[in-house]
Amino acid sequence: MRRKIGKLGKFCLYNDGYVECEEKIEKSAYTPAYGSFDFVYGPSAGGLMESVRLDIITFGEYIRDVIVNPYYKSRTIKIKGKEINDALLYIERINAPFTASHTIAFLMAIEKALGIEVPYELLLDRIAEIELERIRNNLLVIERLTEAAGFQVPMSSLLWLVEKVNRIIGKYFGHRYFFGVNYYGGINVEEGKIKDLEIIEKEFNELFNSLIESRIFIDRLQGNGIIKNEDSIGPAARAANLEYDARNEEIGLPYKDLGFKISTYDSADAFGRFIVRGKEIFESLNMLSRINLKKIEYTNRLAEGKAVGRVESPSGDLAYYVEVNNKGKISEIYLLSPSSINIRLFSKSMVKNIFTDLPFNWESFGIWISEIGVKFE
Amino acid sequence: MSWFLKGIKRGIRTEKFPKEKPLEVAPWSTKIEGEGNVNCPTNAIEDNKWAQEKCVFCRRCFPSYKPTGDVNIFKVEKRNPTFRKSFYIYPIDVGTCGGCNLELKLLTSPQYDMSRFGIFFTNTPRHADALLVMGIMTEGMREALMRAYEAMPEPKLIILLGACAISGGLLGLPPEIKGDVRIAGCPPNPYTILKALVETKGD
Ligand code: SF4
Ligand code: SF4
Repeated sequence: MRRKIGKLGKFCLYNDGYVECEEKIEKSAYTPAYGSFDFVYGPSAGGLMESVRLDIITFGEYIRDVIVNPYYKSRTIKIKGKEINDALLYIERINAPFTASHTIAFLMAIEKALGIEVPYELLLDRIAEIELERIRNNLLVIERLTEAAGFQVPMSSLLWLVEKVNRIIGKYFGHRYFFGVNYYGGINVEEGKIKDLEIIEKEFNELFNSLIESRIFIDRLQGNGIIKNEDSIGPAARAANLEYDARNEEIGLPYKDLGFKISTYDSADAFGRFIVRGKEIFESLNMLSRINLKKIEYTNRLAEGKAVGRVESPSGDLAYYVEVNNKGKISEIYLLSPSSINIRLFSKSMVKNIFTDLPFNWESFGIWISEIGVKFE
Repeated sequence: MSWFLKGIKRGIRTEKFPKEKPLEVAPWSTKIEGEGNVNCPTNAIEDNKWAQEKCVFCRRCFPSYKPTGDVNIFKVEKRNPTFRKSFYIYPIDVGTCGGCNLELKLLTSPQYDMSRFGIFFTNTPRHADALLVMGIMTEGMREALMRAYEAMPEPKLIILLGACAISGGLLGLPPEIKGDVRIAGCPPNPYTILKALVETKGD
């Protein structure tokens, strides 16, 4: 089945290609109603990880609409005219928590554009990066959910795990957010099998099962932020039983060789997104146990070309369209970030919910504001 | 089993840092040493000298320069013992990539547990002893930064976290605010942040 993923600059990106298309700006359906008021939260407010403004149109309990403005901290990234490896320094800093996904999607676009065959072992290293990133992110999302519920013990235990994963990444890749790891021509990595994954599996297994059994925790998630929508991506789609996952569709990375199995659920709410993220942590750990990290290089070349690179980031499809000129410099670049799609899904799913649902629903989408407001120059 | 008992069963997981050495530090977040002129994208290396506040830890200088594992890459120019018992920080993101935000948050993880030093985050600048700024200066956040600063009671400290906030790093210009404390890194390691905060509160 052909599915539309989203806007990638002047293109519409589909799971099997991209075509030029017009921008359709979705307008909020909100009209002022007697007794409703605009509750403003942000842009700089405690409890928010990043600067973002939420306009919550409410009667005090019932939510009529939520308008998210992620552009307060918009950054202009000067990347055009830069050589590929210099451009990567900037790509890394678009969204640190998803740096592996960003740099790998960008490099895959470049390599496809220039017709480079990437060694198989390097592709496995890249899967290891993205899956470690996914584990960290999903742990953090679940931690944020427990934080919203004021559950101190699981909150601390999950943060302990997030830090543990960061240390593993730091040990094998030298940097806790994969800066300076991927480059055009190779990878910086410590060789070998990743150790200490069993500790994460054991501890998370205990926590996940306890959380599922906790009525007061799951009550806050069930029925909260229901969204069953063909336009969904990532865990939001999979929680609605839609089998959308770039790891299944994108031929660039050999996920199938690692026995990848998609994780789905059928409630389409914040609870479903929590379950999917939890199941994905086990799936990622399973794939990581089959990978042996290797330091591999390939011969790069200067050529002209354009292509799209796409990966399944922890919050869904992430893609770059890149054009390179014959001097090896970036002449055009577009980004489709999962957070820009998830913000729309969040707003839609929030209508008709109640005020106290908001933090749980917001966290369940795993949105990072930094990757939304980026302008390339 | 109740969450309380589950917590007890897990035991204490807080590390002894800063009394004892840090464990498992990612190399590219620590002090860099070496020799020679290299092609550094932020001019953090000039005339054989490394300027910690400009470094974005990109590894371009490797192997002429190497990370040492030393996490002491911060500068405390003003500390205030008034805050020795309790030190409330209001973090503000004026244009980050999310990296500094996450490392800062990890100070609340059991490994670091900043609350054992009386360090806490506050949700409002009105209750804050220090304003912690991270990210490059973006147009949209200029007013929010100014307002947060003005809303804080005296005495107040300004902490700049990360290369973006101190020097603009790679991506832009830093906020126009003078830091009493400057914590280098891209992003700074939680060990570095914790040690800097403990010193800032006058311990
Ligand atoms: S790591 Fe990068 S920014 Fe830092 S000194 Fe070396 S070359 Fe310069
Ligand atoms: S200093 Fe580095 S990690 Fe921190 S916000 Fe800037 S680019 Fe991101």
